[in-house]
Amino acid sequence: MSRAHFLLSAAVLAALAPTAGAAETPLVITGARVVTVSGQILENASIVIQDGKITSVGTVLTAPAGARIIDGRGKTVYPGLFDGLTYLGLAEVTQGAPGTLDMNETGDINPHAKSWVALHPDSELLAVARAFGITTALAAPGSAMGGQSLIAGQSAVIRTTGDTPMALTVKAPIAMHMRYPSGAPVLDFSQGIPDLEPKTFEQRLQDRKKNQEKDLHRLHGLIEEARAYGAGLASGVALKVDLSMEALSLAATGKIPVIMRVNAETDIKGAIKFANENRLKLIIAGGAEAWRCVDDLKKSDVSVLVGVDQLPAREADPYDAAYANAAALYRGGVRFAIVTDNASNSRNLPFEAAMAHAFGLPKDAALRAITLSPAEILGVSATLGSIEVGKSATLIITNGDILDHRTSVSGVVIDGREMSLDNKHLRLYEKYKARP
Amino acid sequence: MSTHPPRFTVLAANAALISLAAVAPAQDVAIINAKILTVGPLGVIEKGTILVRAGKIAAVGADVVVPQGGNVIDAAGRVVTPGLIDAHSHTAIEDNVNECTNIVTAEVRVRDVLDPRDINIYRQLAGGVTAANVLHGSCNSIGGQNATIKMRWGAPSGEALVFQGAPPGIKFALGENPKRSSFSVGARRYPATRMGVEVSIRNAFLEAKAYKKEWDDYEAAMKAPAGKPGKSAGPIQSSRSDGGLGAGSGQRPPAPRRNLQMEALKEVLEGKRLVHAHSYRADEILMLINVANEMGFKIATFQHVLEGYKVASEIAKHGAGASTFSDWWAYKMEAYDAIPYNAAIMASHGVVVSLNSDSDELARRLYWEAAKTVRYGGVSEDEAFKMVTINPAKQLRIDKWAGSIEVGKDADLAIFKSHPFAPDARVEMTLVDGKVMFDRSKDIAARKGVAATLGGGQ
Repeated sequence: MSRAHFLLSAAVLAALAPTAGAAETPLVITGARVVTVSGQILENASIVIQDGKITSVGTVLTAPAGARIIDGRGKTVYPGLFDGLTYLGLAEVTQGAPGTLDMNETGDINPHAKSWVALHPDSELLAVARAFGITTALAAPGSAMGGQSLIAGQSAVIRTTGDTPMALTVKAPIAMHMRYPSGAPVLDFSQGIPDLEPKTFEQRLQDRKKNQEKDLHRLHGLIEEARAYGAGLASGVALKVDLSMEALSLAATGKIPVIMRVNAETDIKGAIKFANENRLKLIIAGGAEAWRCVDDLKKSDVSVLVGVDQLPAREADPYDAAYANAAALYRGGVRFAIVTDNASNSRNLPFEAAMAHAFGLPKDAALRAITLSPAEILGVSATLGSIEVGKSATLIITNGDILDHRTSVSGVVIDGREMSLDNKHLRLYEKYKARP
Repeated sequence: MSTHPPRFTVLAANAALISLAAVAPAQDVAIINAKILTVGPLGVIEKGTILVRAGKIAAVGADVVVPQGGNVIDAAGRVVTPGLIDAHSHTAIEDNVNECTNIVTAEVRVRDVLDPRDINIYRQLAGGVTAANVLHGSCNSIGGQNATIKMRWGAPSGEALVFQGAPPGIKFALGENPKRSSFSVGARRYPATRMGVEVSIRNAFLEAKAYKKEWDDYEAAMKAPAGKPGKSAGPIQSSRSDGGLGAGSGQRPPAPRRNLQMEALKEVLEGKRLVHAHSYRADEILMLINVANEMGFKIATFQHVLEGYKVASEIAKHGAGASTFSDWWAYKMEAYDAIPYNAAIMASHGVVVSLNSDSDELARRLYWEAAKTVRYGGVSEDEAFKMVTINPAKQLRIDKWAGSIEVGKDADLAIFKSHPFAPDARVEMTLVDGKVMFDRSKDIAARKGVAATLGGGQ
């Protein structure tokens, strides 16, 4: 392995893809209610946007020469919504069209799988998400929709517009995606229904534990190896190129966090323990029973990418366990973002936040959980997540409360460019609404 | 949570009211100081009372006098609505949804496998749902018989969940699911194309029509005066030349053999059994309308009907209702043209539209599914809320008893913390037949006990 190879990897790690189209017409949104998320809500305020960035926010501003003015009276401006766990760009039709799916690589150990090389810029799902306010997303491998790899690959933060995968990519890699081994046997249905041996519940528990220990041991070994590989890279010694080890070394040496898909209480606690022992920066994805692990999460400063609109994990759980999960994390001081873990339903992100709000999460925290918090957790808050001078002008304009299902998104600006709200759904609506 | 839902509850802080409640006749409930969305002729009552007697709504209005006694629920600051109705559910039949082994399984009955202890009944009560159309799965062109139920969680039997008076129905399914397109497990079976789906339905009804004729002929013969057998005694004649019951000049034809599968389809032909047709694409919707017209039956509802917006006029002309998802799409090829404006477009073409869940989870937030139609297509809030109350009631032909708050109807009610479309909306209490089946304050109070038992808690 040459030094040049290493430098290239480091460059990829650090690079923020340049925002497309440098010299855009300046934009000014005037007279709007501006929900900055990072600070106060400003009434009757204006936002000046130049070269893709927010250059000023306030009540008395001067419009730059040649600026396009957007009348914001009666409107509310929010930071663009940020869905911190999706397979946007990686899937089109989840059942019955496997040729359209690129989120789940086959095999168990895929640290070198990179979501950002497989993004489909003209996915209809991107345009739909964008038109309803999702400007930013984590495009991640290892979806809950059939992902079974122990190590699924690396994710990217994407903007929901762009003509090429590179133009879609805001930053990559963001995180290494893993599945905490539950120990449940991975069943292969491709050859028909497997013939399971009759076993007692106790025996199955034992098997599970054994499988889990085996997988954790295997993961530990891989991480150790990757750390050594990373140290070798750093010291400049010639190494035989191993793409898998090279990729995993980013997580093993703490350059990127590990996003581990895990839901059950004992598994969450196990994941925290495993991450601490292996010096990984852990982010939990899923976290159905995170409300049972608040102290552990807080103590190890583990963030959670949490879904809301789910059934309770157990029959005896409170009916609202999933709805109130985010509020429990909030009260316990755990960092979290609300995510859809989906793609076609990504536009429902604000409604998941609303459900968390209805079950105890304060409204400002609910909004933060779909804007600034995911940006912070995923390491892009220097440019995204709130309406602040110097940040990317990535924001949405609505006719009301974005957590209210009745509200419409009337404008979307990504990196200072006004987006068309055109999408497949709107086109079909226009085509058929007046058909006699 | 309590395993036995509390029968009576008093929310009022007023001590006098509580003491009255303690000695009240058990069957009476008064909900006072409530904002009431009646979804009926009375519209919205800003501050009013609902009186419940013997499980029915006895009075509703702003000036209703609350009689002495009874359980008084002070709903000040809250919003009372009709209980929500889910027109497409598989709740209470877990692991018994699909009899998947045949193309036509019209003989199997959801009613036989209802589980009144399914925790999802309780969870849906907590989302304000009081009734549901529990449907057979979509594995077959013609599936099993449905059961319209009330969410009487903990009832002594599955039978006790059944919504009395609701007409029976049956599940049909078109497109990818009966084709088994997304299912590689096991051997493929007929049909594998939409052509085969059409043929299988057509064949079944040809057979059903022949079966019906046998019975019609038989019954006509039986009605004919003794000694004068009807002209069309049917194809099946007794082989006996003499003796037996049919002997002599008063000979009566033997009854045709009952066929449970054909019985259900005969009822469809007779308009006694509602057809709920799972469908996605516009072509298959039109196909079934054509087959129905040809065979002489009506489709009560198209279920899912995701491309219904493309053929809304045809659906309206047939007189079918449409029960759809608010915004799900792209999970299968046949859902790739699904749009969230579907409900709005179908409604504007005169179709009675409901929004359903088909999901134990989504069923818990149907009120917000309705709210989405305001965003997608500009449906008025009143019309939107009908899509989860009176419209599904009409589709299931239970609107005489449910779907709106009107005197004489069943006291199936949801009490919301705020307007059901608001971003902090949450159900606080749900009543079925005038009984409190969900009470959030009691649920929360009960959690301590559960936590102590299980070592958890929230």
